[in-house]
Amino acid sequence: MIAMHKYVLTAAALAFLITSCKKDDPATPDPAPVPAVSNTTLLIEHHIDDVPLTYDTLRYTNAMGHMFSVTRLEYYLSEITLLGTNGTQDLVLPGPYYINGTAGNRFDLGTLPAGEYAGATALLGLTAAMNQTDSLPNTTENINMAWPVPMGGGYHFMKFEGHFLDNGTSNGYAMHIGRNENLPVCTMPEPFTVASGGEVVLRFNLNQVFREPNVYDLSTGNYSMGSMMLMGQLRDNCANAFDIGYRP
Amino acid sequence: MKYPALLLLILLASCTRKNMEELGPEAHLTTPFEIEPPHYFPVLDIPANNPLTEEGIELGRRLYYDPILSTNGPLAGRSCSSCHDQVTSFSVPTEGTAVLPHVNLAWSQNFLWTGKVNGGLEDVMRFEVNEFFQVDVSVLQAHAVYPGLFERAFGDATITNEAVAKALAQWFRRLVSTDSKFDRYLQHTEMLTDQELSGMMIYLSETGDCFHCHGIPLLTDNAFHNIGLDASFTGADQGRFLITGNPTDLGAFKAPTLRNIALTAPYMHDGRFATLEEVVEHYNSGVNPSPSLDPIMTKPGQITQLLLGPQQKADLVAFLETFTDDAFITDPELGSPF
Repeated sequence: MIAMHKYVLTAAALAFLITSCKKDDPATPDPAPVPAVSNTTLLIEHHIDDVPLTYDTLRYTNAMGHMFSVTRLEYYLSEITLLGTNGTQDLVLPGPYYINGTAGNRFDLGTLPAGEYAGATALLGLTAAMNQTDSLPNTTENINMAWPVPMGGGYHFMKFEGHFLDNGTSNGYAMHIGRNENLPVCTMPEPFTVASGGEVVLRFNLNQVFREPNVYDLSTGNYSMGSMMLMGQLRDNCANAFDIGYRP
Repeated sequence: MKYPALLLLILLASCTRKNMEELGPEAHLTTPFEIEPPHYFPVLDIPANNPLTEEGIELGRRLYYDPILSTNGPLAGRSCSSCHDQVTSFSVPTEGTAVLPHVNLAWSQNFLWTGKVNGGLEDVMRFEVNEFFQVDVSVLQAHAVYPGLFERAFGDATITNEAVAKALAQWFRRLVSTDSKFDRYLQHTEMLTDQELSGMMIYLSETGDCFHCHGIPLLTDNAFHNIGLDASFTGADQGRFLITGNPTDLGAFKAPTLRNIALTAPYMHDGRFATLEEVVEHYNSGVNPSPSLDPIMTKPGQITQLLLGPQQKADLVAFLETFTDDAFITDPELGSPF
């Protein structure tokens, strides 16, 4: 029992000393409050390389040389993480965000910590926890993105559809991605600075979906949903399809 | 406190009176009506300025079944119900343009085959009142019963086109089908047969690929698709293109809900198929390629066929028949009030 009291007293003294040191040590002052920037938004833009996307026009050329159009683009973005640097912390934006390419795709972020960021990462789709049948609210958008239970359940991460020319003949393509093993993890290494009210802009280059590391051949892979191989190629290509910036 | 109950009563009475005063002199008593679809349905979007009430629904129901709506208009002598019979899911077999059923339109944003009207039920009812029926409200105003019914529903006996549209919108919101055999399967209260289950697997997989445009539970994506009925397009067959002028929309029509699909023959916008078997065969072997063919119709290998065998086609039809909601087509509360 005496030994036990000794231990308790020693621990209490140690705790007191540690606490005192922390309070009085001028070498470790309380961190200065991080300045905040209010009235910020998240904006998602869609491009074909450097050109803003125009729907329904067979005018773009992919890495395989196929001319293609875009008729539908729907997907989720989640776990968008702004990577802190030089005093800023990593910041995960709320989500998931349902994106329809035909909509404005501007979302209120409210107040953000000001400062420099080293870039961002994001999931083009949903986390495994969210990617379960009926886990999202039953909006008409979400139920139209459902991935049927007999095919694994959950949701489409992306629907990207249009037409392409194959030896002069117009055909349809449907780049659908789903299932956890095909979740694209997107990296955006572009540094940016949040300095005043403005927009975090994520730009999706759709031509990158067909470019690298896999030069995607629409003539043999026009329909991805039933193929883990094709969805895997799309997953890898989508990883570098976004970039990020801040527009004051 | 000697008389707490009395005090409470006085407080309640004063609150009620205050609330009535806040509502203004036109305040009237209506009975709220709740629609409670199964959990897997989307939340109903009901505009704040047209809440569902028993009085509004009953008025809308009466207007729906009453040819008075068309008096002095181009459709004289006809009511909504003339072309929308409850026993066929508020549709009716016709030659020419097929009649879309009035079922679960509360979740729709695009109306009519070409999406001529977008928005909510109030928007499409304004179109029906002002353009389709060209309702003469003076006829309703002079009627012995209607002014009183409008006053009960909306607190004003003066009948306007907007009030007629609102009453009809409430009635259409009431036309909800959620009790098919497939609904009961989803709610674990009834099993499907082996054949129906086989058909469901075809429907909900790439084998049949029905789910992209007819997903659960609405059985429509509310979007427009060219499903390859024709290779070239003239007249009404141009579909959505007639509204948008976009060549990609040539031959595209709204995906109709498959609720009660077994009851709503003939099929497609022009009623070209008489049976579900013919419809399935179209998807299986009859799709016509064209530059505006919906991309989703092109299958792996760039083919436009499903290549289903006879048994698979029969199974798919058996599954489609599980979308029939007998309670909906026999519910006396949805029938004619006359």
